[in-house]
Amino acid sequence: MRASRPSFLVGIAVSAVLVAAATAAIYPLKSLAPVVSLSVVYLPAVLLVSAYWGVVLGLATSLLSAAAFNFFHLPPVGRFTISDSRNWVALAAFTMVALAVSTIAELARSRALEANRRRVEADLAAAVARDLLGGSETESALAAAARRVAEALGIGPVSIELGAVEADRRRRALELSAADGAQVATLLVPRRLPADTEQRLLAHVVPALGALVAIALRRDALQAEAVETAALRRSDDVKTALLRAVSHDLRTPVTAIVAAGHALGSDSLTAGERAELSTAVVEEGEQLAALVDKLLDLSRLQAGRAEPRRDWVSLEDVVHAARDGLSESGSGVRLTIEPDVPPVRADAAHLERAFANLLENAVRYSGGRPVSVQVRRSGSRVVVRVVDQGPGIGVAERDRIFEPFYRGRATGPETGTGSGLGLAIAKGFVEANGGTISVESLPGQGSSFVVSLPIELPVEQQAEAEPALPT
Amino acid sequence: MSTEPRPRVLVVDDEQQILRALRVILRDAGFEALPASTAEEALDIAATRRPDAAIVDLVLPDFDGVELSRRLREWSDMPLIVLSAVGEEDAKVRALAAGADDYVTKPFGPRELVARLQANLRRIAPEPEEAAIRVEGLEVDLARRTVRVDGQEVHLTPTEFDLLRLLIRNRGRLMTHRDLLLSVWGPGYGEDTQVLRAHIANLRRKIEPAGGRRYIRTDPGVGYRFAL
Repeated sequence: MRASRPSFLVGIAVSAVLVAAATAAIYPLKSLAPVVSLSVVYLPAVLLVSAYWGVVLGLATSLLSAAAFNFFHLPPVGRFTISDSRNWVALAAFTMVALAVSTIAELARSRALEANRRRVEADLAAAVARDLLGGSETESALAAAARRVAEALGIGPVSIELGAVEADRRRRALELSAADGAQVATLLVPRRLPADTEQRLLAHVVPALGALVAIALRRDALQAEAVETAALRRSDDVKTALLRAVSHDLRTPVTAIVAAGHALGSDSLTAGERAELSTAVVEEGEQLAALVDKLLDLSRLQAGRAEPRRDWVSLEDVVHAARDGLSESGSGVRLTIEPDVPPVRADAAHLERAFANLLENAVRYSGGRPVSVQVRRSGSRVVVRVVDQGPGIGVAERDRIFEPFYRGRATGPETGTGSGLGLAIAKGFVEANGGTISVESLPGQGSSFVVSLPIELPVEQQAEAEPALPT
Repeated sequence: MSTEPRPRVLVVDDEQQILRALRVILRDAGFEALPASTAEEALDIAATRRPDAAIVDLVLPDFDGVELSRRLREWSDMPLIVLSAVGEEDAKVRALAAGADDYVTKPFGPRELVARLQANLRRIAPEPEEAAIRVEGLEVDLARRTVRVDGQEVHLTPTEFDLLRLLIRNRGRLMTHRDLLLSVWGPGYGEDTQVLRAHIANLRRKIEPAGGRRYIRTDPGVGYRFAL
């Protein structure tokens, strides 16, 4: 609300009119009361003008009223002299009362104005507090807060920036500080400001804003700490699970190998026993190696150090290589690869490990029944489905199965003998190479793991393809 | 009783147990193992005892297997096989670029190691030119330039045939992209892996029955190998 006065000229006109009206009104009243008591008729005019036009015009009106009263009504009428000395006193009394009235009216007016401004500032502080502390990060709320300040004070574009910012040609920089005096932000306001607005700004708005911004920033910091603590706790959980899994899954083959090693030193071994024991050492050793590789993969993925070395990769190659890596269990895997599948840009070793893990999982849970792998192009992506005929995965578990060390609660004889790492590794490598992985499954109906990878067109083909891109 | 001396294979690994096991494996396969635990020791033995091939672990106490491969390659043509670990693709690729011929991933099976060793030794062994090669269902007549898959003749373009011939004559051995491109296409084509990939894809489509056995194996990022 603009606290400006109506035009001064209008004020002069109104003052003149009102004084004239009061003067005229006195004539009929002269028959009812002694003339000296009728000076009060001028007081409403003085009051009105003071209330709306301030003390200057109010005083002017008072003096004009006194002059008019003297000229038109005090004997001798038509002259500024006064015959009766008592009337001097009356005139003087009237003048003083008029002056007092106009001063008091002005005081009331300015108090009302001040009260209104204070209310506006209080509303502003409340609104800014809501903006800054309402939940979104401080930095994004600063623009809204700045707009409110500009609106409330009725000044041009205002902005609030974090930290200390230099003033420029068009704008002044006002420091916003916390309770301890440290500058947390800068309020940029237009250089040319009305003096009283500037005073209000500096006295009330700047300290309040400073305090609010400081609180909001502290709130941000605490929130970030809380998030980090939660992440650390999660990471601790993973480490605990890791230690638990590692100690059992590593110790078991190691124990078997050491035991077989001791046994091989016996003098009483038959050829058959010796063959068995050496086979045990080889097999347990290979299992150990596979687990160590998986742990390394997982830790590299989690530390963000599995940078893909991208090259053109044929998914047909990758899927075949993954199947070959399964040794004898690979015979139960059927591959169907459509002919129009283009190469993708990815790390071949990563993808091979991802698919090897998916296949190993599928074979383990398929209970001897064949696993099928389908590779086809779907729009701008290549989609690989690994389908097993195992017990399926319930809705509740579908998200958890990709967590490291999570071994599903299998509902059949195919219990989880794996490390629980395969799916986490597959997901890690697929996503590191720009792809997505998901599972479609229902209990009792097997599972379909779906890997989708983007196709990147080679540069020459990109130039042709672009004009024809669908929206 | 053969009077031929056993081929000598330099074996370099800092783990004694592995050297011990390799000695037995190689002996059973008809080789004599010359063990070395450090790269310096390996260079000494290579210079004085002139092995016919070398198996080198990539991780060694003094300088790594890549550097050792480079130094051996400076004066010797012997087949060099490196032992690499899963996840160390980088080191493997650098070793191949530095002069190694092939690699075996740890933990390795003795059969695979011996097969790769033998395949790589064939490269330099003066062998009578084979007129025809038969591998499972695939018959390649090098003289007449014909190819039969399960008895059915298959028509290959000249480039495809050259590619197949190179792979099958070096079966079991890793052929890097560069090797293949330079041999079949010639100097200046060493970087055109896209072209190579396209031709391999066409070749596979012609000689490999769908969903069935694969003759040509891909070594991702490195090259191809004709499977034994």
